[in-house]
Amino acid sequence: MSGLFPGFLILSAAMFAIGAAGVLVRRNPIVVFMCIELMLNSANLALVTYARYTHTMAGQVFALIVIAVAASEVVVGLALITGVYRSGRRLDLDELSEMSE
Amino acid sequence: MNPQLTLVLSAVVLGLPTASFAVNAVTAGRLPRRVVTYLGPGSVLGSFVATLVLLATMLAQSPSHRGITVTFWDWLNASIGGGSGVSAHAGLSAAFSVRIDPLAILMMLVITGIGGLIHVYSVGYMAEDPGFNRFFALMNLFITSMLVLVMSNSLVFLIIGWAMVAFASYALIAFWYQRPSAVVAGRKAFITQVIGDVGLVLAAFLIFLNLRGPSGRLLHTVDLQTIFANVGPGAHFHGGLGPVGGGMVTAIGILLFLGAAAKSAQWPLHTWLPDAMEGPTPVSALIHAATMVTAGVYLVARFHPVFQQAPVAAGVVAVVGIGTALMAGIIGCTQYDIKRVIAYSTMSQIGLMIFAVGVGAYSAGMFQFFTHACFKALLFLAAGNVIHALHDDQDIRVMGGLRRHMRWTFLAFTTGSLALAGIPIFAGFFSKEELLGQGLALGPAVPWLWVIGVSVNVLTSFYIFRVVWVAFTGDPRSENAEHAHEAPAVMLLPVLVLAGLSTVVGFLNIDFAGFAPVTLFQAFLQPVVGVPGAHASALVDGLALLAGVLLSLLGLGVAWAVYGKQVLSRELIPQRLPWLYQLSFRKFYWDEVYDVALVTPALALATGVRRVLEPGVFDSAVGGVRDAVAQLSADLRTFQTGFLKDYALWFFFFAVLGVVLMGLRLT
Repeated sequence: MSGLFPGFLILSAAMFAIGAAGVLVRRNPIVVFMCIELMLNSANLALVTYARYTHTMAGQVFALIVIAVAASEVVVGLALITGVYRSGRRLDLDELSEMSE
Repeated sequence: MNPQLTLVLSAVVLGLPTASFAVNAVTAGRLPRRVVTYLGPGSVLGSFVATLVLLATMLAQSPSHRGITVTFWDWLNASIGGGSGVSAHAGLSAAFSVRIDPLAILMMLVITGIGGLIHVYSVGYMAEDPGFNRFFALMNLFITSMLVLVMSNSLVFLIIGWAMVAFASYALIAFWYQRPSAVVAGRKAFITQVIGDVGLVLAAFLIFLNLRGPSGRLLHTVDLQTIFANVGPGAHFHGGLGPVGGGMVTAIGILLFLGAAAKSAQWPLHTWLPDAMEGPTPVSALIHAATMVTAGVYLVARFHPVFQQAPVAAGVVAVVGIGTALMAGIIGCTQYDIKRVIAYSTMSQIGLMIFAVGVGAYSAGMFQFFTHACFKALLFLAAGNVIHALHDDQDIRVMGGLRRHMRWTFLAFTTGSLALAGIPIFAGFFSKEELLGQGLALGPAVPWLWVIGVSVNVLTSFYIFRVVWVAFTGDPRSENAEHAHEAPAVMLLPVLVLAGLSTVVGFLNIDFAGFAPVTLFQAFLQPVVGVPGAHASALVDGLALLAGVLLSLLGLGVAWAVYGKQVLSRELIPQRLPWLYQLSFRKFYWDEVYDVALVTPALALATGVRRVLEPGVFDSAVGGVRDAVAQLSADLRTFQTGFLKDYALWFFFFAVLGVVLMGLRLT
């Protein structure tokens, strides 16, 4: 059983890297969102793995909290995206740069 | 005395003027005048009634039980350890507690009683003034502050009251803030007061840090009764503030007197008082004659256990007092402003009180305070009637013949003058007789202080009757004086009450020719200040009394000869002794001396700082910081591109950096 742990952790790291790269390179906010979800779930995977490894419950409980936070974050994020779309602009992160002014 | 009842009554005494001030101040002049007319004087008179009840309950007790301390609340308690007050590290513990004893009651009676009369008078005097509400708010504030000062049983609240009084005085001197001279006078008074405050605060620090209890342990207390109990003569060998006449107790005495001198306008901190006459006349009567300026006398009397341990400091007090009395008396003879003449007479009379408390005649000093409060308030209010009738002209040279139109005011002013001059049966006679008699018996071994004190009598009666004859008799010397009219009833009534008091209060101190060893008034104050230790023999006392009265009559006679009958030329002194006349007329040049020695250098320093130091050092330093911040923000601003991906990139960069650093630390 213990031989599988590196596998889970490597999978988690890979998911995190894919998510991070997606956040950095993609221009469509919905895809960016999915990448953020990917990163959150890679963290969940790592948490659960370690919880199993150390025979404690803390990591699993924390993973549940992360899921709850992720759900709330989706609500806010999708509302923002919908709002931007309704204002008649293209969903392109490179064009949404009014913050600099 | 019943603690509960005392607590409630003290709360009423303090609370009424405070509440009236608060209501008046919060509404900021929007209260109708009718309301303020009753609220302002009413609150002070209510306080007076509560004080009378306190007095009655006190007189019902035997003399040894006439002092009581009641605590309102624990204001600040930083002491560490047990609640019983016995702790290894006693810290500052200041309770808001009041001490009700004969000395405090005497002060409270004068503050609320005479203060109340002056409030009633002000209703008439200030009737036309647009700042009517502000005036009564400040007057009530003053009454509150003064009550805190005299009732407090804690050094901390004594100092708080002391400083609040100075502020109220400042605000009332500069009451007509449109007049530049009033503003300057207020500022001068306040700055002088602050010099005195520094002395008082330093004395408080020294007492707090150095007072030792019976076991030789430092007490660290601000409770006045504890302080006095441990300072007292022969209390214990190791205790108190060091040996009698030691450096510590002498320093404390001198510093306390610095505070007292500033409040009581004694040399060298006296120059503010004549200028304070810029304020409305009721203010001069209340603050600069009856109450605030005598706070210094109260302070010395209250701290008499300290001064009894410090003969040098007490000697300084006596000499400064008598010197100021003489100097102010000389100045008073040549001034033309009616209020300034009375102001210098105040300074002179307070000098005598300070002399009395300096030589240890505490009850005599306090009795002089009591009678002085009556007749000096009377003189000021009567002068206020005159000034009011003459449309704010205060120069006695434009008056004259006022006796015909202002019969009652003339009567009142003359009564006040007789009392001030110490003519028999009037109040001032009894107080001065006792004061000078005890000054002779207790004075520092040589009678020369007494000689000066008794010769002040000539000057006193000369300058005050000079005013009487010049202002009230002869022919009117101006249009206004010709058409002067008597003051309204609301102003006349307090004046006549005070005139009655000035006539009769002296009898409180009549010693029935050996019939009773102590007089009524002495017996009243005995629980607090004791009785004087020495008495002059009956013969010496009688001769001293005779000398005092004869000198007073001499002054009166000279004034009559010069200004009444005019058989002596007014130009006698100015021509024969021009230097003396100039010295007196120019007020001993103290203003000029202070201008050259203090004001001019201070202003030059300030100008120098403004011209050189400020642009060269401060402006460039402040400007430099500002420019640096502006540059830094301009540089940092380039990071803010507005592209989400840039931010995310930075975020990841630093996150990775953090993980790497953490990894390095772990290995």
